Amino acid sequence: MAKPPAVVPPVAPVSAIKSSDVFRRLVDAVSDYAIFVLDPSGNIASWNPGAQKLKGYLANEIIGKHFSIFYTAPDLAKDKPAYELAVTSKVGRFEDEGWRVRKDGTRFWANVIITRLLDDEGQLIGFGKITRDLTERRMSELRYKLLVQSVTDYAIFSMDPGGHVTSWNSGAQRIKGYAPDEIIGKHFSLFYSDENRKAGLPETVLRTAEKEGHFEGEGWRIRKDGSRFWANVVVTALRDEEGTLTGFSKVTRDLTDRKLLLDELKRHSAELELRVRERDQSNAELEAFAYSVSHDLRAPLRAISGFADAIREDCGQQLDQHGLEYVGEIIAASRRMNSLVQDLIEYGRLGRISAPLASVNLPNAINEARRQLEDVPPGSLTLDVPADLSVCAHPQMLTQVIFNLLSNALKFHKKGSVPQVRVSAEERAGDVRLNIHDHGIGIAPEHQERIWNVFERLHDRDSYAGTGIGLAIVKRAMDRMAGSSGVISAPGEGSTFWIELPRGQSK
Amino acid sequence: MTPVLLVEDDPTDFRLIQRSFNKLSDAFQMFRLTNGDEVIDYLSGEGPYENRGAYPMPAMVLLDLKLPRRSGFEVLQWLRRQASGLNRLPVIILTSSRHSADINRAYDLGANSYLVKPDTGAQLDELAAQFQTYWFRLNEFPSLRPELAR
Repeated sequence: MAKPPAVVPPVAPVSAIKSSDVFRRLVDAVSDYAIFVLDPSGNIASWNPGAQKLKGYLANEIIGKHFSIFYTAPDLAKDKPAYELAVTSKVGRFEDEGWRVRKDGTRFWANVIITRLLDDEGQLIGFGKITRDLTERRMSELRYKLLVQSVTDYAIFSMDPGGHVTSWNSGAQRIKGYAPDEIIGKHFSLFYSDENRKAGLPETVLRTAEKEGHFEGEGWRIRKDGSRFWANVVVTALRDEEGTLTGFSKVTRDLTDRKLLLDELKRHSAELELRVRERDQSNAELEAFAYSVSHDLRAPLRAISGFADAIREDCGQQLDQHGLEYVGEIIAASRRMNSLVQDLIEYGRLGRISAPLASVNLPNAINEARRQLEDVPPGSLTLDVPADLSVCAHPQMLTQVIFNLLSNALKFHKKGSVPQVRVSAEERAGDVRLNIHDHGIGIAPEHQERIWNVFERLHDRDSYAGTGIGLAIVKRAMDRMAGSSGVISAPGEGSTFWIELPRGQSK
Repeated sequence: MTPVLLVEDDPTDFRLIQRSFNKLSDAFQMFRLTNGDEVIDYLSGEGPYENRGAYPMPAMVLLDLKLPRRSGFEVLQWLRRQASGLNRLPVIILTSSRHSADINRAYDLGANSYLVKPDTGAQLDELAAQFQTYWFRLNEFPSLRPELAR
């Protein structure tokens, strides 16, 4: 919708705006600026509403008084008013910012321009003074400076476009060690190490900040005392309204503690990896050793056993009673050594192999162990285990454990009687306990700890054969599977050896 | 006399094995070889082994794994690569290693059976007897000549 053309009011008579009066009207209308004149000596010769507002004096209170009344005591001590007039007389103008005093004694931050007034002959007739109240801006500037200054955790400072320090806060002093008067004016490359300086890093930092607006990075910096600290640095380019570079601001954070911690963490984990590799290598070496032991020890054993048999068979006729006995001993001894070697290998293996656990059906494991037993008198072994009961175990280890326990249970019966072994299972709070109960000779309480050690035997070889490692294997295997084992027994009353493992998933 | 190659570098083990085999009812002629290269030479008919009268083709090979020069595995590998029908020659590994890695590798390379040397003379006798029964009473042997196309 088009607006009707504006109606231009008739122009006022030319004479009104052109009269010499109009400037007085102008000055009298302005209430935001103090505009007044001084005589050549500095006495106030005029006043305006702005001056009244700014300085508090009414016109009739102030006209005739010297303008130095507006100055603070320190400025008066320095004879500033006279100085300003002197400069203005010579140069023509003087601009300044500073504190001025009001009628009520309060201070305000003034921006002041004094201008020389000359008559047509060039004679000084006085001074014009225009004052602006910039207290608000000054206060916020001061508050900001105070804020920056008070921050001690961060170094916040500014640089000129060349990289020389132009301001310094307490954080900068704390982090870098320099007091403001020691560092202002110096080049910021002072904070860099010699190598960094040679490599041109400070230059790169400034150029990047200039080109991209800011630079962010981490690296070692040098304190005043020469010590190093790990810095996180942000440099921002400062520009005026035209976009000209006016300097840089820099915020630096001391992250040395964090860096040292991270470095130590890296070192520890590297060391850990080294240890793991070493342990794996040592395990591999043990494996190789155990393998060669197994392989190489058994060859001479085969020879001993085999040729002893051969002697008995082929030369038995020529041997007397003693000869045959001795040969028998040789054969038996080599068989025992063979058992020992096998058990030792098994015991050693348990420490090294990884033992992935799975859900193992218990009756299956028991039957597998049973299958491996030799010479089981019929009816001596009864099983009372639910068909679907499973435990969390390593299948081969579990079978080995059960085999050893069954083997013991069937072996340690009273002379002349038939072994009676009963295998049962019970659930105990999420775990499954397998009991192997025999009606054998039992174990005295004082021995119930020792029997689990390697090479511990309670009987001589003639009474009951064995390597003394069977239970040690059981204990070690149960440890590897995170289970437990134990015995309940009394002499003459048989023994119940038990093992406990977490329940597995029933299939 | 059934010729059998026994590849065994340990003289004691060889003697014990031979002793057990001598007890068998069948007459086995045991040819002993002590390293892998010899086996390949024998089966290829190289050098002295060209004389098939003195060194007949065996019915089967009892092969140890740990051998000087070429190992049992290498011999097996070589054998199964022969295209002439020789590759069918039954090979039984007879060794002291019970290592599952060795067992698996042997079967991977085409062994027909894997036996571990037993610890006692009695067990060795039993092994020999079973060996005879299974392989020479029950088993059918392949031809070691190239198949003729029909």
